[in-house]
Amino acid sequence: MMQMNIGRRGALLGAAAAVSSFAIGGRAFAQTQPVVFGALPPLTGAGGPYGPAMLRAMQGVVEQANSAGGIKGRQVRLAFEDDQTNPDAGVRGARKLIDVDRVQALMGTWASSVTTAVAPLCWENRVPLFTVSGADSITLLPHQGHIFRTQPNSRLQIETASKWLLGKGARRVFHMAAQSPFAQSSQEVMTATLGAAGGTVSGYIVYEREKTAFRSEVDQIMRSRSDTVMLNGYLPDVTILLRELYRAGFDGRRFTFAYAAPASVFGTLPNEVTNGLTTFQPSPDLNSPAFTRLKAAFGNTEVDPYSAQVHDHATMAILAAAQGGEATGTVIRENVRKISQGDGEKVDNVTDGLRLIAAGRAVNFEGASGPCEFDDRGDIRGTKFRYEVAEGGAYRVLELV
Amino acid sequence: MEAYLVAMLVFAGFYALMALGLNVIWGLAGMVNLGLVGFFAVGAYASALLTTKLLWPMPLGWAAGAVMAAAAGAIMALIVARLRGDYLAIVTLGFAEVIRLVASNEIWLTNGTDGISGIPGPWRGDVSPQGFNLIYLGIVWTAVAVVFVLLARLSHSPFGRVLRAIREDQDIAAVAGKPVLWFKVRAFTIGAAVLGGAGALYAHYNAYIAPDGFAPLLTIYIVLALTAGGVGAMRGAIIGALFVIALLESTRFLSAVIPGISPVQKAALREGTIALSLILLLRFRPQGLIPEKTRTKATP
Repeated sequence: MMQMNIGRRGALLGAAAAVSSFAIGGRAFAQTQPVVFGALPPLTGAGGPYGPAMLRAMQGVVEQANSAGGIKGRQVRLAFEDDQTNPDAGVRGARKLIDVDRVQALMGTWASSVTTAVAPLCWENRVPLFTVSGADSITLLPHQGHIFRTQPNSRLQIETASKWLLGKGARRVFHMAAQSPFAQSSQEVMTATLGAAGGTVSGYIVYEREKTAFRSEVDQIMRSRSDTVMLNGYLPDVTILLRELYRAGFDGRRFTFAYAAPASVFGTLPNEVTNGLTTFQPSPDLNSPAFTRLKAAFGNTEVDPYSAQVHDHATMAILAAAQGGEATGTVIRENVRKISQGDGEKVDNVTDGLRLIAAGRAVNFEGASGPCEFDDRGDIRGTKFRYEVAEGGAYRVLELV
Repeated sequence: MEAYLVAMLVFAGFYALMALGLNVIWGLAGMVNLGLVGFFAVGAYASALLTTKLLWPMPLGWAAGAVMAAAAGAIMALIVARLRGDYLAIVTLGFAEVIRLVASNEIWLTNGTDGISGIPGPWRGDVSPQGFNLIYLGIVWTAVAVVFVLLARLSHSPFGRVLRAIREDQDIAAVAGKPVLWFKVRAFTIGAAVLGGAGALYAHYNAYIAPDGFAPLLTIYIVLALTAGGVGAMRGAIIGALFVIALLESTRFLSAVIPGISPVQKAALREGTIALSLILLLRFRPQGLIPEKTRTKATP
């Protein structure tokens, strides 16, 4: 009996010793284990045209960081999953990244629905989430500081556009909005911004996206004596609207989002219809050293705004971990603002950033997408916007402000 | 790793519930239903709205989700009563898209494409994330067990036999004096109720639903789960759901160990592997992993 008791105790003791040795061993070993970050870009589905380039941009930053010695001597590994541009698949992918790869930060979610679905997993597991999704609601979630968004939200976009229009002399702006989550919020922002500076929204119509004719709407625009019409829609309906406005002889300014009138619009509409159409979009800082370098790394091809943004996501996560001295989600969350804003020395790449931080200097990262400064909710401040005008079947850049 | 496995088992539970619901409509009554994600969405939205806006307790929300989906199923069954085969498939597919478009456009109710976030989960936030996972694992698989026992009994009851008769030849069933329409409506309602219940549980697990989440992709996964498991057999539905989740998730790790291919190729290879496995399964085992036993017993 006695013998057996000792045996049991011995076994318990042995087991405890074994477990604790594992724990100690694991801890000692952890110093040489790579730091893992997770990327969840859309490699297939509606975001498929963007995801692969985004992933390449993030991988490029990680390679640079590793050749610069990594985070305090620890190498960085980028684990990735395809979110299939679908919230269900996105959640399963994020589960794998968080629970299996044990990522310390998640970056590169694209569709707003995927970001919103993945966000609760991130804040529950204390993993910061860097995203390029634009829906206003994302940063209003109770995320306890875990979300960093480099895409300006739609309110900011409309507000900036309205101010620019005012600066160009617009006073009576007609708002044509396709049925979408931000039709109503756009209208509110436009009314407030224009109204504050002596302008007015001269008319507001929300239309069904699938409509194929806009005769009565165009008549209303003509009747309203507007100097500008804001086409807040998507490519198919904006194409029809442009044609009908031309037929009706509208001679005011036609203004729309760049995604609603991409260059392909010149293939479907004659030049006399598109001439003078003004588009705007949040733009990467095209002249910044970071953007120039990213463009060179991409083989001097067109770099989309999302790739520029995720390039900055990866850089900020790495620098924040280096600044905090420990690569955990909480430390990264606490340190993102310390390395991206403030009076520190300006850096535009991860190599210089790591070197300065190792030397104990304060840094202020300015990335390919812009100055990367966040407000309290995690929304980006001070993004640049690019305005272009259609002339003879091509866009010419008017301004980058 | 454990947390991940538990989460995937929870997902498998949702898929199993959906496959069970579909099995009543398609497996037993023979009505092709490619709109199952629509009923799933109705259940999810009903429960999410009732618990977040009217602050109903969660179990009531779940029940309401099932009831709402059942009502939608009953109406749907009456509308499509005289359609069969391809026509039925198209109409049900259309139904799911209508639900998705309504959810996208009726912003006052559903918050449009922004979706509904902050849906409560049982003890979420009070326990650790892994604790919540385990609680939900229990809830979902209890639901699967209960639904399985009830549907298995149903399938072996006289009611189930009539449904099978309708599936094989509804004219003969009618000649034998069975009110075919009434049976079809009831089968559709029961199946839709299970789908709606699954949707309600799903909403409270994910804490977030949006129209994007109810795309036809999910319908295809469930149809595949049921086909793989064995159409008509209730056990097959559960095995099939586990099989599909295992396939979806294991391909992640398989494609990761293949060297020398780009991320996009990995993603494509992963989807290709899933498709190929299912094609091979259907080619060499068309009756599914667990074929239906048509000789019924009195009890399951």
